[in-house]
Amino acid sequence: MKKRLGYFSLPVAVVLGATLAASTGFAQVIDTARIDAGGQNDWLTYHGSYKSWHYSPLSQINTGNVSNLAVAWIHIPGRSTRGLQSMPLVADGVLYYTGSYSRVFALNGATGEVIWSHFPELDEALISRQTHSPYNRGAALGEGKVYVGTMDGRLIALDMKTGKVAWDTKLIDSQKLTVGFTGAPLYAKGMVIIGAQGGEWPGRGPIFAVEAATGKKKWEFLTVAGTEEAMKTWGSDSWRTGGGGGWMPGTFDTETNTILWGTANPAPLYDWSGPDYKTQGARPGDNLYTTSVIGLDIDTGKLKYYHQELPHDAWDFDSAVGEFVMLDRDGQKLVVHPNKSGYIFVYDRNLKVKNVWRITHNSNFVKDIDPKTGELIGRRDFPAGKVTEPLCPHISGGVSFNSGSYNPKTGLYYKLGQEWCMTLEVLKTTPVIAPQAQLNIGANFKIAPPPGGEIYGHLDARDPVTGALKWEVRYPEPPLGSVLSTGGNLVFVPDSRGILHAYDAESGAELWSHSDGTGHQGGIITYSVNGKQYVAVTAGFGGMASDDYAPTFGGVYKHMPRDDGALIVYTLK
Amino acid sequence: MKLNFGMALPAVFAVSLAYAMPASAQQASPAPDSAHLDVDQLFATTCGWCHSDGGREAGKGPQLMNTARDDDFMRNRIKNGKPGAMPGFGSTFSDAQIEEIIKYIRELKPHQG
Ligand code: HEC
Repeated sequence: MKKRLGYFSLPVAVVLGATLAASTGFAQVIDTARIDAGGQNDWLTYHGSYKSWHYSPLSQINTGNVSNLAVAWIHIPGRSTRGLQSMPLVADGVLYYTGSYSRVFALNGATGEVIWSHFPELDEALISRQTHSPYNRGAALGEGKVYVGTMDGRLIALDMKTGKVAWDTKLIDSQKLTVGFTGAPLYAKGMVIIGAQGGEWPGRGPIFAVEAATGKKKWEFLTVAGTEEAMKTWGSDSWRTGGGGGWMPGTFDTETNTILWGTANPAPLYDWSGPDYKTQGARPGDNLYTTSVIGLDIDTGKLKYYHQELPHDAWDFDSAVGEFVMLDRDGQKLVVHPNKSGYIFVYDRNLKVKNVWRITHNSNFVKDIDPKTGELIGRRDFPAGKVTEPLCPHISGGVSFNSGSYNPKTGLYYKLGQEWCMTLEVLKTTPVIAPQAQLNIGANFKIAPPPGGEIYGHLDARDPVTGALKWEVRYPEPPLGSVLSTGGNLVFVPDSRGILHAYDAESGAELWSHSDGTGHQGGIITYSVNGKQYVAVTAGFGGMASDDYAPTFGGVYKHMPRDDGALIVYTLK
Repeated sequence: MKLNFGMALPAVFAVSLAYAMPASAQQASPAPDSAHLDVDQLFATTCGWCHSDGGREAGKGPQLMNTARDDDFMRNRIKNGKPGAMPGFGSTFSDAQIEEIIKYIRELKPHQG
């Protein structure tokens, strides 16, 4: 290459070649074993590895030097309607991430230089009818391809090196059902697993497995009445009003060959049944397998085990959070899964309840959940009419869909909790069994502060199994993004105002912060290229939870765009 | 083809959409223009997530009670929505139903007591 060639006059092929050469020197196939090992320079799957720790052992950036952290490069994906909510991935020095409308970018992880991009052509008329759209929460990597779901019901595979479409499989008839895919897929064992949106729509919330090599559908599991046993838990044929779905990626248990996935709520969200919910109301019965964690055989899609976290969920506190934190504790193999209500469930690997603890301070939809059995104690089932005592937490949840982080060095689980409530009036509605007007809520409601206090959010450092609290940091408005912890003894929290914070993982002392210019509600990762550590975070606000911030909190949120976003990458000065 | 998923769908079609689709029932019948719409319920199922307290208070969307917008503006917004803010309902409701919604919004009153 001749020196006098200016940057802008370089033939594309040369730039591309140079970028790839610099970044993929050690490129090896991404398969189940490599993802399981979770090599420290990479971030190969949504949750970091199948252990779902959202942790990296990298320690070049640490408590001693984090004050020197500065922006290395940024990337603007454009058209970030409802913000940027995705979790970046990194393999062999290349960063892959998705933006709204399922745009996919491959960037040089050290410089941000674009290697390729893919903007899929989507059914825009359909998207203009959707409420939970057009954001995208991430991609999956495996077998030389990048996998992304679309709002119009497709799963697309792109060649990792070129961005060329390898296959494009239509999985659901979104034009009929109004819903599609916003969550990241999961790659494991030659299969790409992805769950559909569901919750508020009449459909049966399918989870799909597609062959990574060919794009051929292997199996489909229906989270609404997907077995004969489950069909019996929807009285009056109410399975037709549907719900469910699994719109965040779960994980893969390599030892048992099982996909672990969390499912969404049944519809309507609020039922007028009152306490007789087993026989009365919109959907009499437990409504399996909504608001549940399920274990599916990866080869067949057959249900192996499940636990319904909230039988007959009458509050929209679903189990859709995709975190399944795998732990070994005193010879026991455990898995920790946060329910949207703010109750954190600890299971054995067969999803048998081992403990339940709570991260929220304001919670009254049940009196408690039995830590031994997982049984709900003193549940509040509303009849039609005004609910006198506000319901806590708010419909946006005691925890967001984004992930916490487990740090094996400190043994602590870093997780955000939210303190907010809502007033509501439950309405008796006619069953909605055809996709018509988008949502199926069943109540009029409004956000409200907790009794005798203000709305706030908090980062907790807790024992993941017992819930014992080590320290807490508070925020005036609930942060909605994911948390990252590292071997450098750091915890990173991207907050709603747009500030990225770094804390000492042992003490919670704030060591550094920086403004990313707009609110966060997506992912954060760390990785290393050519011996240099980077932290990458998505910024960009908007969506069902964050749209409440301007009317509720005013202040900076009044001026925050909800159609913008950026990927911001930090390194040491 | 424009599909109309009206609220007055014949039961057989409605059921077919929930994944149990008999081959004979794949054509949607458009909602008859006269189909009555229970707008109170519509706010509780759909609009109310964003137009709080049944449209009486601002939430993710603006307060609709006592709106200063004219009927044309509301008609257009309900039909076409606004990207990233509000879904469009033009293929869900007939023109007559949208008029019912507008009338309902105009008549919204604060809750008693
Ligand atoms: C996902 C949230 C959402 C849903 C669901 C929703 N809206 Fe809206 N709506 C909005 C937002 C946001 C605006 C303001 C748009 C803008 O920026 O002009 C709006 C504006 C409107 C307006 C114009 C009022 C004004 O002052 O601008 C009307 C009328 C309206 N909506 C009616 C409805 C009806 C009727 C439904 C249910 C069939 C509904 N909306 C469902 C979010 C929503």
